[in-house]
Amino acid sequence: MRNASDTEERVGGGVDAPRAGGGFTLPGWSRPAGLAVAVALVLLFPELVPNAYVLSAGVIVASYACTATAWSFMGGFTGYVSLGHAAFFGLGAYGTGILIRDLSLQPFLAWLLSGLIVLVITIPIGIAALRVRGASFVIVSISFVLILLLVFQAWEDFTGGANGLNVPRPFADLYRPDHHRIFFYLFVALLAVMLLTWWVVDRSRFGAGLKAIREDEDKAEALGVPTRDYKLAAYLISATFTAWAGGMYALWFGDLDPIFQFSILLGAYMVLMALLGGVRHLLGPLVGAVVVGTALEYFKLEYGDTQLHLVFTAVLLGVVVLFMPDGVIPAAGALLRRLGPQQSSIREITAEELLERNRAAAAVGGDADGRGGSGVDGSRDGEEDGR
Amino acid sequence: MSEQTKPATGLETVRLTKSFGGVRAVDEATIAFRDGQINALIGPNGSGKTTFFNCVTGMIKPESGSVLFRGKEITGHPPHRIARGGIGRSFQLCRIFPRMTLLENLLVAVRPTGLRQLLAPSREAGAIERARGLLVRVGLDHLENAEAGAISYGQQKLLELAGVLMSDPDTIMLDEPAGGVNPSLIGRIGSLVRELNAEGKTFLIVEHNMEMVMSLSDHVVVFDRGRPIAEGAPSVVQEDPRVLEAYLGV
Ligand SMILES: Nc1ncnc2c1ncn2[C@@H]1O[C@H](COP(=O)(O)OP(=O)(O)OP(=O)(O)O)[C@@H](O)[C@H]1O
Ligand SMILES: [Mg+2]
Repeated sequence: MRNASDTEERVGGGVDAPRAGGGFTLPGWSRPAGLAVAVALVLLFPELVPNAYVLSAGVIVASYACTATAWSFMGGFTGYVSLGHAAFFGLGAYGTGILIRDLSLQPFLAWLLSGLIVLVITIPIGIAALRVRGASFVIVSISFVLILLLVFQAWEDFTGGANGLNVPRPFADLYRPDHHRIFFYLFVALLAVMLLTWWVVDRSRFGAGLKAIREDEDKAEALGVPTRDYKLAAYLISATFTAWAGGMYALWFGDLDPIFQFSILLGAYMVLMALLGGVRHLLGPLVGAVVVGTALEYFKLEYGDTQLHLVFTAVLLGVVVLFMPDGVIPAAGALLRRLGPQQSSIREITAEELLERNRAAAAVGGDADGRGGSGVDGSRDGEEDGR
Repeated sequence: MSEQTKPATGLETVRLTKSFGGVRAVDEATIAFRDGQINALIGPNGSGKTTFFNCVTGMIKPESGSVLFRGKEITGHPPHRIARGGIGRSFQLCRIFPRMTLLENLLVAVRPTGLRQLLAPSREAGAIERARGLLVRVGLDHLENAEAGAISYGQQKLLELAGVLMSDPDTIMLDEPAGGVNPSLIGRIGSLVRELNAEGKTFLIVEHNMEMVMSLSDHVVVFDRGRPIAEGAPSVVQEDPRVLEAYLGV
């Protein structure tokens, strides 16, 4: 009997199965409530941490969240995977530092301007890079960051070369913990702007076009979507936000080295975080950044500067790509749906109720079965097309 | 459609050529299709029909020759521009956006102009209403929120057609609309084409299903080895010895 009711449920679910949107079947209030709790936790984080070290790790995770979300404007919406987004991070960081050093600009003005400069630089780069698709685009994005690494190492007079570049602190007289706290909030504010932009784009016609490109670029083009312009726009948004994240990092950390700013590893982290969290959901890259970023910081703390975190990264990337192509959010949603309300409702009824229900079901049994069988979508074809 | 109110030729190609390696897939094809008609393009497998479609819609750049639409040269224009100019197309192997819902599939075809419209919500009431109307028309309205990848192949073909209609073209090019579709759906597609034609849409249909071609079209062009070898009314073309030869390989 248990089997019978199971299959009936599955058939019932089958009609809904192709329904998209991936929404959880949680009560309506739970989403805003959960969000409010999460926001409160984030805002209280600097007050809750035990020491400055954890706080600085929090700043790093927040900066990862910014970069992963920024990456997702391109990689997520259009499906163009860039492994070289560290290029924009580095350019934004160095731009900020150099503008302060050479023009004595107010640090945050330098930061703002640096992002806008990257925006302009990215126009020709985007036009060139977006001539290719798929694996070729990945290669082009990697070569871009490698070229910048060489240039920034070699051009010592301008960039400080391998000696690094010192970026003066914007708040010179602050103690370290206060410095971390302020930058934690600055990164969170930047992230909030990105998420808002993401939300606007996601529901817009522009966003619909970008998602169409992700699914089938030629088809989108054939329907009249100017795919090149759309991709370029997404690329520019993505690059600029990444640059602002880099600039913020420069102001926080105060010391830049081409090896770290223009590293493929940083670009790979962005990809991993975004894919892990899931690029189809507003909060996906952010969730991925919190998971991966926290794990990375933990590894650093426990095992020091070994290569272990690389192994971890590689394994995690493999797991995500193989088992959770849409990231943890949809995967968790599916799990919730499977384990959640349905099962608990079955458990809560007593044996008597079950018996009663089964008797009732038996009375209308044949009828219900018949309906269940033909309710599956595919079979509709034959039925009503005779006209 | 009355013949006088429409310009005689809509879509036209002049010595259009495209080869792949040594193969001339389209070989100096010169064809003119009249506006307001249901035109069919038939020919044996590999005769270059799809390549011809791709050249006309800008998906492939032809090597030489030109494509004209209502007298204006559109050769080499990017596909989205040609689409926006009023030529819609479907693909031989049906192409839809599998991870979007049926409704979202149609909303992709809405064409915003200017930044404001670009950032306006995609699910806007007017667009949704139009999309729903088209889904009703192709008989898929009950699946509006289903994921497009989850519906049957025949339904996907109807969805693709609805998507093309959503972009409001006046010339519609269909590459094997009946291919891989069950007979009852073929009937639905055929009557839809007839209805739309009565509303003023021009059709250019590549099809192997001769029954459909002969019953539906006003004008048939027969393609062989990348160029037209015969054309005329269905009944005339059917009797043409060159057509029989090309098809039967006599
Ligand atoms: N992308 C391509 N690369 C190489 N050769 C191609 C390509 N596309 C088509 N061809 C070749 O061009 C010729 C014409 O192919 P096309 O697909 O246009 O024919 P078709 O008339 O549409 O055939 P069918 O009725 O089977 O769809 C064939 O010889 C085919 O092998
Ligand atoms: Mg073909």
